[in-house]
Amino acid sequence: MTEPTHTKNIREIELPQPTASPMVTAFGFTLMVAGIVTNWIVAIVGCVIMFVGIVKWFGQSNPESKEMPAVPAPKPTPIVPRVDGVAHLISDSGHRARLPLAIHPYSAGIVGGLLGGVVMALVAVGWSLAMHGSLWYTVNLLAGCMLSDFAEQTTEQLYAFQTAGIIVGVMIQLVMSVSVGLLYGVVMPLLPRLHLLFAAILIPLMWSGLTWASISVINPALSEHINWLWFVISQISFGIVTGWWIIRSEKVSTMQNWHYLERMGIDSPGVRKMGEAE
Amino acid sequence: MRLAGDSEVSTLETPIGPATGRPPFLSQLHEWVTTVDHKKLGSMYVVCGIIYMIIAGLEASMMRWQLAWPGQTVLTPEEFNRLFTMHGTTMVFFVGMPILLGSANIMIPLMIGARDLAFPRLNAFGFWLFLFGSILLYFSYFGGQGLYGMGSAPDVGWFAYAPLTERTYSRGHSTDYWILGIFVAGIGSTATGINFIATILGMRCRGMTLMKMPLFVWIMLVDAILIVIALPPLAAAQIMLLFDRLLGAHFFDAQAGGSALLWQNLFWFFGHPEVYILILPAFAYVTEIIPVFSRKVIFGYPLMVAATVAIGFISLGVWVHHMFSVGLSPLINAIFMASTMLVGVPTGIKMFNWTATMIGGKIRFDTPMLFSIGFLCQFLMGGLTGIFLATVPFDWQVSDSYFVVGHFHYVLFGGLIFGILAATFYWYPKVTGRMMSETLGKWQFWLLIIGFNMTFGAMHVSGLLGMPRRIYTYQTERGWDLWNLLTSIGVIFQIAAFTLFAINLLHSAFKGRRAGDDPWDAWTLEWSTTSPPPAHNFDEDPVVYSRRPLWDLKHPEDPDWKYE
Repeated sequence: MTEPTHTKNIREIELPQPTASPMVTAFGFTLMVAGIVTNWIVAIVGCVIMFVGIVKWFGQSNPESKEMPAVPAPKPTPIVPRVDGVAHLISDSGHRARLPLAIHPYSAGIVGGLLGGVVMALVAVGWSLAMHGSLWYTVNLLAGCMLSDFAEQTTEQLYAFQTAGIIVGVMIQLVMSVSVGLLYGVVMPLLPRLHLLFAAILIPLMWSGLTWASISVINPALSEHINWLWFVISQISFGIVTGWWIIRSEKVSTMQNWHYLERMGIDSPGVRKMGEAE
Repeated sequence: MRLAGDSEVSTLETPIGPATGRPPFLSQLHEWVTTVDHKKLGSMYVVCGIIYMIIAGLEASMMRWQLAWPGQTVLTPEEFNRLFTMHGTTMVFFVGMPILLGSANIMIPLMIGARDLAFPRLNAFGFWLFLFGSILLYFSYFGGQGLYGMGSAPDVGWFAYAPLTERTYSRGHSTDYWILGIFVAGIGSTATGINFIATILGMRCRGMTLMKMPLFVWIMLVDAILIVIALPPLAAAQIMLLFDRLLGAHFFDAQAGGSALLWQNLFWFFGHPEVYILILPAFAYVTEIIPVFSRKVIFGYPLMVAATVAIGFISLGVWVHHMFSVGLSPLINAIFMASTMLVGVPTGIKMFNWTATMIGGKIRFDTPMLFSIGFLCQFLMGGLTGIFLATVPFDWQVSDSYFVVGHFHYVLFGGLIFGILAATFYWYPKVTGRMMSETLGKWQFWLLIIGFNMTFGAMHVSGLLGMPRRIYTYQTERGWDLWNLLTSIGVIFQIAAFTLFAINLLHSAFKGRRAGDDPWDAWTLEWSTTSPPPAHNFDEDPVVYSRRPLWDLKHPEDPDWKYE
């Protein structure tokens, strides 16, 4: 690359002549088209005007005669090099401008989610037993997410053991716990700091808020009978256990700092083998 | 390109001074009518677009007056139908299109260091076809009654669905005017699109390889290709419709063996790329403005190019999402749902790159930047509701409701119009030689932010509450009263904002502060020539070595070409 240099001067700048031909042709064409909805005479007049425009246009297309010299004009202000210098953005190693180099194993998220789900269930069932004298109340309420007829059951029916309720309730708890646990495992390495605070407090509170806003649509039965204090406590218990389990797991490195060839698995002299330490 | 101290290199003669005087009015008029100068033609496009924006805005305001309260009788149902048809048609074909063509007309040759477009006379032909086509459409208010004594302006919606447009349902000539007006203007747009492609591919200055072109030019290249691909199918469909109406053909007449769905396919094969044809220039504007006002180079230039090309390509394969509710097979719906969601990926890349450009920059919150940030926020919201609507079950629920109206106004008003306003404040000094008022600009920005979000945000709610679009009134017990009132109150703020804009445009043209050649300390070639530029643009053919040629000249100790 060479330094920028001057170009040669342009001794003769020529520009196309102004002409009415395009306007006349366009006007004739529009009239011709307008004749379809007005009168055939309009169309014929338009046709004639368009023809005249085209003929003149063709005549002006001769490059020898219809160029005109540029009109003299003021010169632009010369561009002066700056004296204030250039400030460069300094890459700060503490700034999270990249994906994490090490993450928690997905298995930690799954196991953490399962453990958190168990503790959460214990808290919820404990509340059910203490406040309502029934082991099955919260399970049946949860099952109402999928079993729409539970929304019409009386409180006494919800206190009672129901096979469908226990199967569906456990399934929901299992699937949700594993899914959210997995999500925790993926998201937590991306958080800048205070991982346990996010896991134990902030995310359960956000989840509770989302549930509060949508519960009447998702689960009318739960919406009618829910105790929000205990709901939040059970969510936080899930967050504490799941977050704690994930944080204590040993991180595994990702391929983010690998060379492109290494990621492709190319094995050649000078290229490290996949996962090999530098 | 001229450097400091390079004072006597021009071969041109002594500049004309102010003492030469202003030519008589008729001479000036003749000069404008016969011009083939890309800057003058571009300016005429933009001025016409702004005039039509005022007209379309008044049409929308009348509709909002009618809908402000339930049971109003400001407009008759027929008048209401004409107004929403003319508003939509005008905004798409006679506001969005001319302003994008006009801005590209002015800027492409200046940015690539050319003296004009490749075919200057074809360029003039394109402009005049646009203007006469638009006049033909509005002539329908006078001529639309035709032989049958029925109709006035078109009343079939801007997409003119069959069989509503067939002779049986649309008597008189109003629909014919809609067909012919857009047909004529469309030919002009296609000619201009071809001109842009030829200019960009064949007339770049020395050193400006494709990967050194300003992103504005890249985006306009993709836009021009979309114009050339998308507009001919519309013209074909319009000719078929004209055959149906005037010659007794049955292309779209289902009772006679035609297909109303055929029109929808043909129209939306044009219509959805058209949305991108309109929004891509807004991308082009903010892509130039954000780096200059962040004092940073654009983040991820190659990826921005790739995303632009990807958007252009994908946009040709999403049109059926306008037809989810017509009863197509689940497989077709699923394919077009996926393709529609796919277009969010390159668009998302652009959003991230604009944001990344701002991060760490020394941001100047001048009016062009304010409107660019407004664009980012509001276009994002329009994009997100677009993802909702791409989901077939959701689309079924809200199809043809005010939710859809709110969505596309966030895209086309919050996106395109905010982009146009940003571009106007940014390039007005280059075109006129004078600065627009920053104070008025900021007042306009905040009034418009309030009015825009009040109007179109509330539309989402009334849509979710079940209010269908295109109804001329409603009953009070529907629960839509508050949201419609809010929508209409927002229009008052918008009128105030655009009044300030008009005052600013006119006042600044005569009394604005002198801009100088490079008022924003920018980096692309148009800022190296005078404001306004001379007819020949540059005294010397520029040579560029990087994507920011003016940066290289201003910072010879750290030029971009060392890094690219």
